[in-house]
Amino acid sequence: MSIRFTNLAVAAAVLSIAGLAAAADTIKIGVDGPFTGGSSSMGVSMRDGVRLAVSEINAAGGVLGRKLEVVERDDQAEKGRGVQIAQEFINKEKVVAAVGYINTGVALASQRFFQEAKIPVMNNVATGSIITHQFDDQPENYIFRNAAHDSIQAPMIVEEAITRRGFKKVAILADSTNYGQLGREDLERALGLKGVKPVAVEKFNIKDVDMTAQLLKAKEAGAEAILTYGIGPELAQIANGMTKLGWKVPMIGSWTLSMANYIDNAGPGGEGARMPQTFIQEPTTPKRQSFIISYLKTFNHKNARIDSPVSAAQGYDSIYLLAAAITQAKSTEGPKIKAALENLQTPVTGVVTSYNKPFTAKDHEAITANIPVFGEVKGQRVVYAYPDDFKKASEVRVKDVNAKGAMAVKK
Amino acid sequence: MEILLQLVYSGIALGMIYAVIAFGYQLTFQTSDTLNFGQGDALMLGAMVGLTLVNMGVNYWLMIPMVIVFGLLQGSLVERIGVRPAIKIKSEFGWIMSTIALGIIFKNVAENVWGRDDLKFPSPLPESPLKFLGANVLPMELLVVAGAVLMMLAVEFFNRKSIYGKAVVATFNDRDAAKLMGINTGLVITFSYALSSATAAFAGVLIAPLTLTGATMGAVLGLKAFAVAIIGGLTSGMGIIVGGIILGIAETTTGFYISTGYKDVPGLVLLLLVLAYKPAGLFGKTAIKKV
Repeated sequence: MSIRFTNLAVAAAVLSIAGLAAAADTIKIGVDGPFTGGSSSMGVSMRDGVRLAVSEINAAGGVLGRKLEVVERDDQAEKGRGVQIAQEFINKEKVVAAVGYINTGVALASQRFFQEAKIPVMNNVATGSIITHQFDDQPENYIFRNAAHDSIQAPMIVEEAITRRGFKKVAILADSTNYGQLGREDLERALGLKGVKPVAVEKFNIKDVDMTAQLLKAKEAGAEAILTYGIGPELAQIANGMTKLGWKVPMIGSWTLSMANYIDNAGPGGEGARMPQTFIQEPTTPKRQSFIISYLKTFNHKNARIDSPVSAAQGYDSIYLLAAAITQAKSTEGPKIKAALENLQTPVTGVVTSYNKPFTAKDHEAITANIPVFGEVKGQRVVYAYPDDFKKASEVRVKDVNAKGAMAVKK
Repeated sequence: MEILLQLVYSGIALGMIYAVIAFGYQLTFQTSDTLNFGQGDALMLGAMVGLTLVNMGVNYWLMIPMVIVFGLLQGSLVERIGVRPAIKIKSEFGWIMSTIALGIIFKNVAENVWGRDDLKFPSPLPESPLKFLGANVLPMELLVVAGAVLMMLAVEFFNRKSIYGKAVVATFNDRDAAKLMGINTGLVITFSYALSSATAAFAGVLIAPLTLTGATMGAVLGLKAFAVAIIGGLTSGMGIIVGGIILGIAETTTGFYISTGYKDVPGLVLLLLVLAYKPAGLFGKTAIKKV
């Protein structure tokens, strides 16, 4: 209980600071994410990363001499809520930009309103490949992203399973949400490029408590590994189901296998799961070290473990990217911020990477295939899966538009 | 064969989870012709209170009676606030809305107290599977089956053999006549709600180590349990068990032999068939209602 109260106290402090600043002319940024429910470990970590970045920027004098103010709303991972919040941000709160979106389905449903209102959106967690391509047919695109999209993750997962670890038969288990099913398509496509056909492709629903049928099908088909696309609680039920069946094969899946509610609910059965990560909680550069220290100091976390380090780091970076764009645009008008983002002059040193011209008019993805590394669940936390990656982690991997491995995004 | 056996085992375990929840619907229906639509939330509250006690260091087995007492109190509260006013004015539908409303309130309270994340409920039994006739079961699943059957036997025994149980049955058969016979029917109805929430709370701590524990755990389970209650029949304890097992096995076998995308469909088709051809449920007694 005490953890919760200190969290509340911090939240109250941050909010009251934001409240005071509101008295002056502030720059409002909308933050939308699921702060409750199955996706909350991502949403809350993202929000806390955002809060940390905003308090640092404000302590250093703000942007254009004005303080940043965040308006936080909980979308509960529901599309309907996301749509309402988008309209509230635009019409009532009059935000300058929005950051967030954890759930691909919510992002796809909500961001059209920002697109129409010409307000930039920085997707900092949601990974569905088509998110930044939803408005490709329009002359201007206001949707940006600083997370590793599924067209990067799916080939990485396949590369790990088929090439590096030599599995010949793999099964896909994906949830029935937009996220799971779009990810499953990407996985099947990436497997197809290697000439592999999954031996079983199974589906499960959010809140399902029994995975026996799915796992037995994979087992009967002779799967040597399970590739997953889902979120924490159900992924944990997959690991628990394998323990029950007494059948243990490696789980390799999208980055959500790093969620705290997967690790905690799966317990020992969840160890060894591997997933692509843009950030692993290790102080490998001075920037990352200071980020981890101040994050853990501000938001108390049990066992000094960030619930979702990737979300926290990307949330933090998204604010610095926006702040840099607003500074360069010398304006809070959407079209000018968008133009600045597409042609960012000053490099931004973030936690995930150093952003040197991260976006162009045609390319709204800050993360390329060379940036993520493989993480592994070990000792109830996520560590580098390969010692070589860990050794070289201090050399920041920067965006490389020619990086191999990403699939073309199919619309 | 081994596959089918494994599917049947998992189906039974899943079905028993549904059945223990469905049992609560049956309890209140038997006395007052009303249902507590917040049954799923009563289950969730039981699991959350149980988890809190366990985290405070209370032994799992000692915690169970405490949770049952909590369930009794919570159930009487629901009856007093939500159901009694509706019965008093002989409203046909008032109790539906008020039990749903109370369920939502309980869920919101739980979200504020415990958060909305899914939490791990420590298992009181070893988590490694047992080999039984060639397929695997978890010790905890056996406990759920045993606990559910015991609970139902206890309640059935109470209803059939004890004088208080007879009062319950009499209240169901004819509330006014029972009242004239000197049975405090109001108290019987309150008691049945208390008992139904107590079974739900017990079911909550029983299944929590298998499912995940969280404020939203009641919603889906409560709905599935409702289907079980309809299929098995709202007037039969036996029907609830059989209905649960049918739905559970239908889910796991459809998932394996047809497609995991359609695993919920056969159960719901069965529900429609039962409603069309045997509305009182497979094991229910058809009651003629004179209006």
